[in-house]
Amino acid sequence: MTYPAIGKKLGAGEMVILDGAIGTEILRRNVTWADHQLASRPEFVRGIHEDYIRAGADVISTNSFQLCRRALYNHFRDEAHRRQIGAADLDQRADKLLAASVRLAIESRERAASGRPVAVAAAITTLEWCFRPDLAPAPQQAKREYREIFQVVKDAGADLVLLETLNSISEACAALEVAKSLGLPCWTSFVCDERGRLFTGETMAEMVAALEPLGVDAILLNCAPPGDINAGLKELLAQAHVATGAYPHIGRFDPPEWMFTDEYPPARYLQVATSWKQMGARILGGCCGTTPDHIAALGDLRQ
Amino acid sequence: MHQSLEARLNSREPVLLDGAMGTELVRRGVRWRKHGLLTDADRVQQLHEEYLAAGAEVIRTNTFQLNPRIYLNVFRNRQHMRHIGAPGLEDLTSKLLRTSVRVARQARANAGKEHQAAIAGVLAPLEHCFRPDLAPEFELARSEQLELARVFAEEKVDLLLGESLNTIAEARALAEVARAVGLPVWISFVIGPEGELLSREPLARAIREVEKLGAQAVLVNCAPPAEISRALAKVKAATRLPYGGFAHIGHFSPPSWKFEFFPQFSETETWPPERYTAEARRWRDEGATILGGCCGTTPAHIAALHAALGARREGAKSA
Repeated sequence: MTYPAIGKKLGAGEMVILDGAIGTEILRRNVTWADHQLASRPEFVRGIHEDYIRAGADVISTNSFQLCRRALYNHFRDEAHRRQIGAADLDQRADKLLAASVRLAIESRERAASGRPVAVAAAITTLEWCFRPDLAPAPQQAKREYREIFQVVKDAGADLVLLETLNSISEACAALEVAKSLGLPCWTSFVCDERGRLFTGETMAEMVAALEPLGVDAILLNCAPPGDINAGLKELLAQAHVATGAYPHIGRFDPPEWMFTDEYPPARYLQVATSWKQMGARILGGCCGTTPDHIAALGDLRQ
Repeated sequence: MHQSLEARLNSREPVLLDGAMGTELVRRGVRWRKHGLLTDADRVQQLHEEYLAAGAEVIRTNTFQLNPRIYLNVFRNRQHMRHIGAPGLEDLTSKLLRTSVRVARQARANAGKEHQAAIAGVLAPLEHCFRPDLAPEFELARSEQLELARVFAEEKVDLLLGESLNTIAEARALAEVARAVGLPVWISFVIGPEGELLSREPLARAIREVEKLGAQAVLVNCAPPAEISRALAKVKAATRLPYGGFAHIGHFSPPSWKFEFFPQFSETETWPPERYTAEARRWRDEGATILGGCCGTTPAHIAALHAALGARREGAKSA
């Protein structure tokens, strides 16, 4: 359990550095991430985690974006169709890979943290596509699915849950309630638009008012360009009582992959992060397109 | 249509399709981005050439489920796509469609088979082929498919092949679209566990509907070989058009993070070419004349099928 050390830092108003992208980093290293590479190339995934730990990350997030039973089952009409044509392991695959994603992060910490407290955050996103709140399941259904996911990552030894790229208050609340009922520390991170609103159009004030009574440990913004994150962060900081943070993406989404640009090299990325620290954010890291070099640059924020 | 193909079809001689493009490219290590058409067009072309060398008389463009929705669907909306998406995504589909026809045409030229092989422009459901619940209504499907069909018409494919269609509405839309752009069309349905369309709509009714709209052949595809066998018996009873099928082999093993069709099939080794050919030979014996392979099949499957069917009398000149 490493979370208390992180929680203590936040309580003291100290900076906590999050890691950078893992999905796009896999691509940048010229490997496909269609199956997360958790089973096929564990040493490769571990290598990226270790690079982020050596770059100074206090919290590393598991390579588990969109990894859940629903994501696999969505490719079929229904159960009958899945049984007819689907691979035999699909019933267990998501749970197995989720557990593996936590295990790999823990192993990376053992290899690279040199005794420094590094927390392993199980990175879990929306049950449906992160940019499509219109597809979100009803809260009761969402709770059932999140319970299954969180139990797996808890049993595997995750220190906290990082709910990332959330797009609606209702799904965030459903997930947060489940995480708390399992005794897991929980950070919630939302994607926001140019106006600093959630993708449902809901405001930061509405979101904070809904999440803080449920015991959220920190609220962050992620997976939007720095300008959008900046707009959202202003609103968030004006409302939140808990610790706040941000990890923007840099470059362009080029589905199904990522387009890397040189718009935000590490030095400029640090400038943006420094301005957010000055505004009051305490948890800073990187989303899609960021690299271990970006996270290493954020080390200056500790001064 | 290609004249030789039309003649062979109407005289009920066997016509050999190619095998899988997507699953075979992925099996060969091609990264599934933009259907391989931007970064690995040479390997797409190479695979077409291998299918032609194996004896395929119709090669299909590598465009399964390639339409603007697969990119738009992963953004909040069009504005979001412009805001955070890579430049050019809005026009990307037509560019890729054109590339797909060009590599097929180049492969055919390299194989010296301009007069022996036809190029079929592949159109598929606009949403995920295995999710009929997401399929657009007829009018919407018609207008969106028309844009794709126009590109194929401009690039002068020999025919359109509507593949893995999962609702009658979208199949009808495709048949109409083909007529609008002046191309012959074959319609192929994906078969569900009930032996009907994946939408559970009756296969016989689906066939009647597209036949009325001028489809020149009907097929069934993207189900295991035994299911294709059962479905073909229904097709035979439902139509006098030339008909056929192409089965997938192994099991669909989707990725865990995205929604568009990702062509990855596992355990395909349980259906080596000889076993597949034995099943397909039964289809031929029952009267099916258009045969090929869906997901999981390889040039070796098509070569075996070619040998077994004695499909093409060597040296038979046509056109």
